[in-house]
Amino acid sequence: MAEVIIRKLTKSFGDNTVVKSVSLKVEDGEFLVLLGPSGCGKSTILRLIAGLEDVTSGEILINGEIVNFVSPVKRNAAFVFQNYALYPHMTVRKNVAFPLETARLPKDEINKAIDEAARILELQQLLDRLPSQLSGGQRQRVALARAIVRKPVVFLMDEPLSNLDAQLRQQTRIELMELHQRLGVTTIYVTHDQIEAMTMGKRIAILKDGELQQVDTPSETYDKPANTFVARFMGAPPMNLIQGRIEAGVRQFTFNGDGILVTLNSSQMGLTDEVLSLQLNAAVCLGVRPEHVRISTDLSVEGVSGKVKFLEPTGADLFVTVSIGIQNVVVRCPPKTPMQIGSTVTIAFDMTHTHIFGADGWNLRRSN
Amino acid sequence: MDLVEQNLSDPDWQELTMSDEEFRRARSRYKLRALVPVVGFLGPFLFLWSVFLATPMVWSIWLSFNTGGLIDEAKFVGLENWSRMLSNDELVRSLKNTATYVVIAIFVVFSLALLIASLLNSNKRGQNFFKVALYFPLLVPPIMAGMIFFFLTHYDMGIINLVLQAMNQEKLNFLGDNPNALLTIVSLEVWRGLGFWVLFFLAGLQSIPADLIDAAKIDGAGSMRRFRKISIPTLRPLLLFAVIIALIFNFQLFDSVQVLTKGGPVLGTTSVVWFIYKRLFAFQDIGLAYATSVGLLLLVVVLTVVAYGFLGKKSENSN
Amino acid sequence: MSLKSEHTKELHDLALQNSRIRRTKSVIAYAVLGLFVFASVGPIIYIISPAFRESKSLFSYPPQWLPNSFYLGNFKFLLSETNYIRWGINTFIFATGVTVIALIIDTLAGYAFARMEFPGKKIIFGLVLATLMVPTAALLAPTYLLVRNLDDWTFGLIGLDTYGGLIIPMTVSPLGVFMMRQFIETLPKGLFEAARIDGASEWRIFTRIVLPLMKPAVVVLGIFVFMMQWANFLWPLVITTKDETRVLTVGIATLQGQFVTNWGVIAAATLMTLAPITLVFLFFQRWFVQASMAGALKQ
Ligand SMILES: Nc1ncnc2c1ncn2[C@@H]1O[C@H](COP(=O)(O)OP(=O)(O)O)[C@@H](O)[C@H]1O
Ligand SMILES: [Mg+2]
Repeated sequence: MAEVIIRKLTKSFGDNTVVKSVSLKVEDGEFLVLLGPSGCGKSTILRLIAGLEDVTSGEILINGEIVNFVSPVKRNAAFVFQNYALYPHMTVRKNVAFPLETARLPKDEINKAIDEAARILELQQLLDRLPSQLSGGQRQRVALARAIVRKPVVFLMDEPLSNLDAQLRQQTRIELMELHQRLGVTTIYVTHDQIEAMTMGKRIAILKDGELQQVDTPSETYDKPANTFVARFMGAPPMNLIQGRIEAGVRQFTFNGDGILVTLNSSQMGLTDEVLSLQLNAAVCLGVRPEHVRISTDLSVEGVSGKVKFLEPTGADLFVTVSIGIQNVVVRCPPKTPMQIGSTVTIAFDMTHTHIFGADGWNLRRSN
Repeated sequence: MDLVEQNLSDPDWQELTMSDEEFRRARSRYKLRALVPVVGFLGPFLFLWSVFLATPMVWSIWLSFNTGGLIDEAKFVGLENWSRMLSNDELVRSLKNTATYVVIAIFVVFSLALLIASLLNSNKRGQNFFKVALYFPLLVPPIMAGMIFFFLTHYDMGIINLVLQAMNQEKLNFLGDNPNALLTIVSLEVWRGLGFWVLFFLAGLQSIPADLIDAAKIDGAGSMRRFRKISIPTLRPLLLFAVIIALIFNFQLFDSVQVLTKGGPVLGTTSVVWFIYKRLFAFQDIGLAYATSVGLLLLVVVLTVVAYGFLGKKSENSN
Repeated sequence: MSLKSEHTKELHDLALQNSRIRRTKSVIAYAVLGLFVFASVGPIIYIISPAFRESKSLFSYPPQWLPNSFYLGNFKFLLSETNYIRWGINTFIFATGVTVIALIIDTLAGYAFARMEFPGKKIIFGLVLATLMVPTAALLAPTYLLVRNLDDWTFGLIGLDTYGGLIIPMTVSPLGVFMMRQFIETLPKGLFEAARIDGASEWRIFTRIVLPLMKPAVVVLGIFVFMMQWANFLWPLVITTKDETRVLTVGIATLQGQFVTNWGVIAAATLMTLAPITLVFLFFQRWFVQASMAGALKQ
C-alpha cells in the first residue's frame, strides 16, 4: 500500500502545456477521483504517474520515493485502460498471467494468483475464452483481474466504465467500490462523469485545462464549489450563476444583477464584510443551486418577482425556469407543484447556501 | 479537507526536492537507458542499409567520375564518363527501347488488368479459380518464362508459327526482326505480370463501398458509366502507386533480354540494365557502367516525381 | 382489369429481357475470362509434353499437349550431367536466407520506427524512405564491387561465390520496413502500454504481443520477398562465377547457352523447377493471393 504525492507536475507536448503545476496528495488506501471535462489532462496525469509519459517538470512520489525516473513496472502501479487493452490473441488466463510470467514467477504461484483473481472477479467460467468472445462487462473484469493479480500498490483507472451501457455501469460502479474496500489499494480514478465522481470518490480532484480547481469531498465540492467552473460542473442542472455587482447598501452590502436585488448578510453566507468590501462594484457572480431557491405564486412574499419561462418535469422533481429581466433562474420544486408558463412568481434565495464568486471567478468563502 | 487544509497539515509536501540540475541529469540518464533497445531493434537493418544501399549509392556517384577499379586501381577522370555516356549511341538506343517497353507494357498490362478485375468483380462465381489461374505465371521466373516464350515463338518450330502455317498464313519472325523482338519481350512481361495487377486492382475495386455503387445504380448509371465515374476515381491513388511501382520494376528490364535476344537483332532490344551489365562484364568499361547507373537512378527518381505530380494533380482535380 | 394485366405482361417481358441481357453479359464475361486463363496457363502446360519426349521429335503440328511416351531421359540427363540438384539447393538457401533475414530485420526496424521514441527518428526514417524507390539494378555495379572487396574484410563470409555475398545485399529492402511499420502502427497503442505496465521489455512486447498479432503481415511480406528472390536472376548471375555456386535461374540460363537445340532438357529443367513452387503455391494459394492484394489495401 502506498501514498501517492505529485508535486508541481507539469507536462507539455511541444508548445502545448496540458498539465500545469498540479500538486496532489493521495493518502494510503484512499479512493481519489480525478474529474474534469474531456481534454483537460486527466489521462495525461494518470499516464505520468504510471510512467507511460515523460514528466516535463515536477515530481511524482510513490511511497515516499521519487519515481520520475523509475520504469513503469518498478513503480508497481496497475493501469486499467478505457478500452481495456486486453491482448487479443491470448485467452483470459494468458492475459491475466502475462504480468506474472513477465516477472518470472513460478508456475504454481501464477496459477494460484490467477485462481484468486478469477474468484474475486467471477471469471472462473471465462478463463479459456479469447477477449473477442467476451461482453464489454466481462472484458472490463478481465482488465481488472490483470491489474489486481500483480498486487500493485496503486491502481490507476482511466474511465474504466465509459464503454459500458448505463445499467451495467451502475452495477460495475458498486463492484469497483467493493473491490476497493476489499483490497484497500490506493486508487486514482479518472472520469468525466460528475455523478460517477460523486458516488465513488472519497475525495474528488477537479481539473480544468490542466489546472487543479478543487480537491475536496464530494459534498464539499457540491456545497462549497471553489469557483464558478466547479459550481457549473458539479450538479445537474448546474448552479444558477447570476452576474451582477456588489453595491453598498444602508447597513449591508447588496447584490445587484439586472433587476435581481439581494441583500447580502455576510455572516449568514459564511463571509465577512471586509471580504465583500474588497469586491465593491466589481463584476461578480451570485451562485445558488436550484434546490436553494424558494418559489411562490403568492406575490406578497418577500423576494424577486419574475415570470415562469419553462417547466421541466423529471419525475422526481420539477425544474422551473424563471426569467427576471434578462436573467434566468432555475428552481427545483416538488414534482406536482402547480405552475403555469407565463405566470408571475416570487423567488427567494436561501442565503446560507448562496455563494458570491469574485471577479476572478473564485468563491469568496475560500479566502477566510 | 480542501487544498488549503491539506497544506496546513504538512505545509512542505508541495515543495520540490530535486534541484533543476539533478532533475535534468536524472532525466537524461533515464532517456539514455531507453535508447539501448532502439539500437538493438534498429541496428541490424540500419547497418545493412548503410553498407549495402546507402554506401553503394553514394559511392557510385563518386565512381562515375573515375575509371578502372574492377581489376586495377580507380583513376579520377572528371566528367569523361558522363560525356561518353551522353554521346553513346547504343545507350540512347537502349534508353529508347526501355522506354518503349515500359510504356507499352504498363499500358497493356494495366488496361487488361482493369478489364479482368472489373469482370471478376461483377461475376463472383468461380472468382477464386480465376484468381489462382491468372496468378500462376508469376511463379515462373522471367528467365524460365523467356525459355517458354522461346518455345512458343521459335520461327520454325514454335507453336504459334506452326498454327499460322496450318492456317496458310505467313509465319511471323518474332525474335529476329524489329520491332517484333521488343514486342515479344513486352508480351512476356504482360503474360507474367497480368495476374499480379488483376489481384491488385480487384482488391481496390472491392474496397469501393457497396452503397456508393448502389446509389449510382439507383441513379440509373450504366456499368460503363459507373466504371468511369466511380471505379476509376476511387482507384486513382492506387493507380498512382501502381504506375510508380511498375515504372521502377520495368525499368530494370534485363532477364528476358538476356534469355531471348541478347540485345539483338541489331540493338533492337538492348535495355539500360543490359547496357550496364555489358559494360561491367563484357567490355570492362566500368566508368561508363557507373555513370549509366547513376543516370538510371536519376531517371527513375525524376519519373517517380513526374508520375506523382501528374497523377496526384489529376486526382485532386477530380475531387 | 384487362389494362392491368397488359401492364403486368409488359413488366414481365421487360424483366425477361433484362435477365436475358444479364445472362448474355455474363456468358461473354466468362468467355473473356476463360480466354485469359488459357493464355496464362496454356504456355506452362505446353512445355510438359516436350519435357517427356526426345528432342528429335519435339515440336510437331498439331501440337501435342500430352506426351504419348514417357521418356525420362531429359530428367536423367539433368540430374546426372549437370549440377541441377546443387542449383536447386542453392536457390532454396538463397531465397530462404534472404527471406528469413529480411523478415527479422524488417520487423525489428518496423517496430522501432512505429513504436519507439529516439532522437533523429524522423530524419533516419526519411533517409530510409528516400531509398524506397531505388531500383536494385541501378546499384548493381557498386554493390558488385563492394562485395568483391568485402571478401577480405569479412574473412570470406561475404564475397563472390559465397552465400553471404549472394544473400546479404538482397536482404536490404526499405519497402519491407515501411510495410511492417505501417502494420504495427495499426495495432492499438494501448496494447503496448498495457504490456509496459505489465513489466514487459521491448523484446518481450515484440515477441509476445507484436509478432503473434502481425503473423498475416509477416507471411505476406515473406511470400513477397521469397518470390522476388526465387525469380532473381541478375544478382546471382553477377555474384556467382562457379557452376556449383549458381542458382536455378542462372544455371538453366547457362543450359540454354550450351544446349540450344536440346529443347527437351530445357523444358524438363523448367518443369522440374516449377513443380515444387507450384505445389507450395497451391497449398498456400490464399496467402499468395493476399500478398498481392495487400499492396493495394495498404494504400
Ligand atoms: N501524445 C500527445 N501528443 C500531443 N498532445 C497530446 C498527447 N496526449 C494528449 N495530448 C493533448 O493533451 C490534452 C489532454 O489530453 P488527455 O489527458 O487525454 O485529456 P482527458 O483524458 O482529460 O480527456 C488534450 O488536448 C490532448 O490533445
Ligand atoms: Mg482521457
